[in-house]
Amino acid sequence: MTPDANLLTSLYHLVAKGRVLESLLGKLPGFHPGVGEEGVVVGAFFGLKDSDYIAPHYRGALLAAHMRGADLRRLIAGVLGKVTSYSRGRVRGDICLPLQFNTLGMFSGVLGNPLNISTGIALAASLDGKQGVVVTSFGEGTSNLGAFHESLNLAACLALPIVYICQNNGYAMSTRTDYALKCASVADRAQGYGMPGIRVEGNDVVAMHQAVQSAVARARAGEGPTLIDAVTYRISGHYSADPNDYQPKDERASWLKKDPLLLLKARLQAQGVMTEAQLNEIEKAAEAEITQAIAEAQADPDPGLEVLGPDDLYSPVLERVA
Amino acid sequence: MSQLTFQEAVIQGISEEMERDERIFHLGQDIGPIYNGAMHSAKGLGAKFGPRRIIQTPISESAMVGAGIGAALAGRRPIVQLMFAEFLGLGLTPLACDAAAMWYKSDGTVSVPLVIRVLYGAGPHRGHSEDYQAWVASVPGIKVAMPSCPRDAKGLMKAALRDNNPVVFFEHMALYHGARQEVPEEDYVVPLGEAEIKSEGSDVTIVATALMAQQALKAAEQLRGEGISAEVVDPRSIVPMDIETVRRSVAKTRRLVVVSESWKTGDPLSDLTASIAEDLAGNAPLKIARVGLQNTPRPFAMPLARAAMPNVQTITEAVRRITESS
Ligand SMILES: Cc1ncc(C[n+]2csc(CCOP(=O)(O)OP(=O)(O)O)c2C)c(N)n1
Repeated sequence: MTPDANLLTSLYHLVAKGRVLESLLGKLPGFHPGVGEEGVVVGAFFGLKDSDYIAPHYRGALLAAHMRGADLRRLIAGVLGKVTSYSRGRVRGDICLPLQFNTLGMFSGVLGNPLNISTGIALAASLDGKQGVVVTSFGEGTSNLGAFHESLNLAACLALPIVYICQNNGYAMSTRTDYALKCASVADRAQGYGMPGIRVEGNDVVAMHQAVQSAVARARAGEGPTLIDAVTYRISGHYSADPNDYQPKDERASWLKKDPLLLLKARLQAQGVMTEAQLNEIEKAAEAEITQAIAEAQADPDPGLEVLGPDDLYSPVLERVA
Repeated sequence: MSQLTFQEAVIQGISEEMERDERIFHLGQDIGPIYNGAMHSAKGLGAKFGPRRIIQTPISESAMVGAGIGAALAGRRPIVQLMFAEFLGLGLTPLACDAAAMWYKSDGTVSVPLVIRVLYGAGPHRGHSEDYQAWVASVPGIKVAMPSCPRDAKGLMKAALRDNNPVVFFEHMALYHGARQEVPEEDYVVPLGEAEIKSEGSDVTIVATALMAQQALKAAEQLRGEGISAEVVDPRSIVPMDIETVRRSVAKTRRLVVVSESWKTGDPLSDLTASIAEDLAGNAPLKIARVGLQNTPRPFAMPLARAAMPNVQTITEAVRRITESS
């Protein structure tokens, strides 16, 4: 299926924005940037219904939340712990996302928990019977946790409407995928749970989007979960201060040629959808928007001590009964 | 003697013990010579001991702990690093339900010489500060070390590696690359279950571990200027707990301030407080104050994170509260 110009343009806007976001946030201390992985993020979460849920991998999480409608400045304020963030500074905004956008993040630093929890959201969607779907993503390193294996098996047993996407960037910190996983593809693991497993070029955002959309259609139709191995590459270090000097030079060079932004630009030009000048203009606009959002978030105030909320530990118990 | 940081002291302790005892090996994520462990918690070990003894694992904490227990049963003396204490829960059932029970339930035939290393504590790192020490300290059969300085860190690590029981070893991130201290080069251990009086005093006893012990020392210094003589006792391991040393101190001062970086609810130091009250109340007057983390999840923003946990000021306030009124 050849994608139409509108789809390509929309995808390009998002990938370009994602690139600027990841590059600029990657300069903040302790941030885990996803430069080079924007194709997976955009392809995974574009084209869903507002009522669907997503639970994105922590790397690229802000882009995903923004795609769901969350405000960039407030998201970035969350990274900085500012009072203008969605949690008023209570939670790590680099990995935890505002659930009011049907977007689940990490309320702790424990990888794998979102896999279990998003499976439960899919269970609720299945019980609701309104064709709601959950799309969740995680790293290939995270797919070595029990949470991955138990969730996939449970989802398969109950035919839950969920799409599991492995944002497979070749590394978990410094650990290479070929050291920590002995199957050829994370997709091979699907067979063990009796669900389809598909390997996709994650840097081809169009292929990525199409693969996810057919898995979503399958889930919506009540046919159960799918596992997608979205193969990409971690151009960034594990976090801002990681020198990332353990990636072999030629491996890195070959992946830089398959940069998702470059691939998409080439495609848009080849299909005559946009000229180079138009493409650059969109990038410039994204840069201006995000630079401004960061500057505003940085100027936002820190939370005052009234946000501490020592008595704010439980939701009022009986509120929902009345 | 050499001047070492906390992190260097821990690694020196591990390295010396690994040289001495071939049975020791180390499991962990990214602990090899490329990354050298989170916050350089395994720096140089991979290069020195190679991949058969410094073994990198996939992200599989439950299997890591379980495998550590199994290897220990089969005659090895494993170290398993879980990177952050925040991940303790993932290894908790094999550790707490099985390993902790083995010596007792096997009627003394089976022991589990296993060291679990975890980083924790409010500090330079964003997040991962939770310690969840109560989870491991509340189960009989697990020992728990929480050193406050490089010398104790090395000595306790060596003791942990010679211990025949599971030991969870907490490494505080704010102390990790902090102040250097003279650390002996000759072989020494700091036994688990032996508190140290870090600063002598006669008016009040302050009990604290790790970063809080350092804060308590600063508080004691400040109080001295006000004419209050505080004795700072660092239990160094919270299991076993050296109640005796604390009891002797409180019998003298009749005032106890217990400081924990964690929640007071379920805090192992609360047990200590109860024991002291049990033993010493009823004679002369006894005053007790507890200082701990706000009873909520840890807030993230720096001003909130700081305000939620004890510091020199809240410690001195607690001391004044129980000294002024009498
Ligand atoms: C349960 C758990 N174990 C270990 C960590 C520490 N850690 C944080 S990110 C990371 C690597 C994750 O790799 P992967 O899932 O492949 O995602 P990537 O970082 O490559 O995007 C690790 C080990 C963690 N946060 N949670």
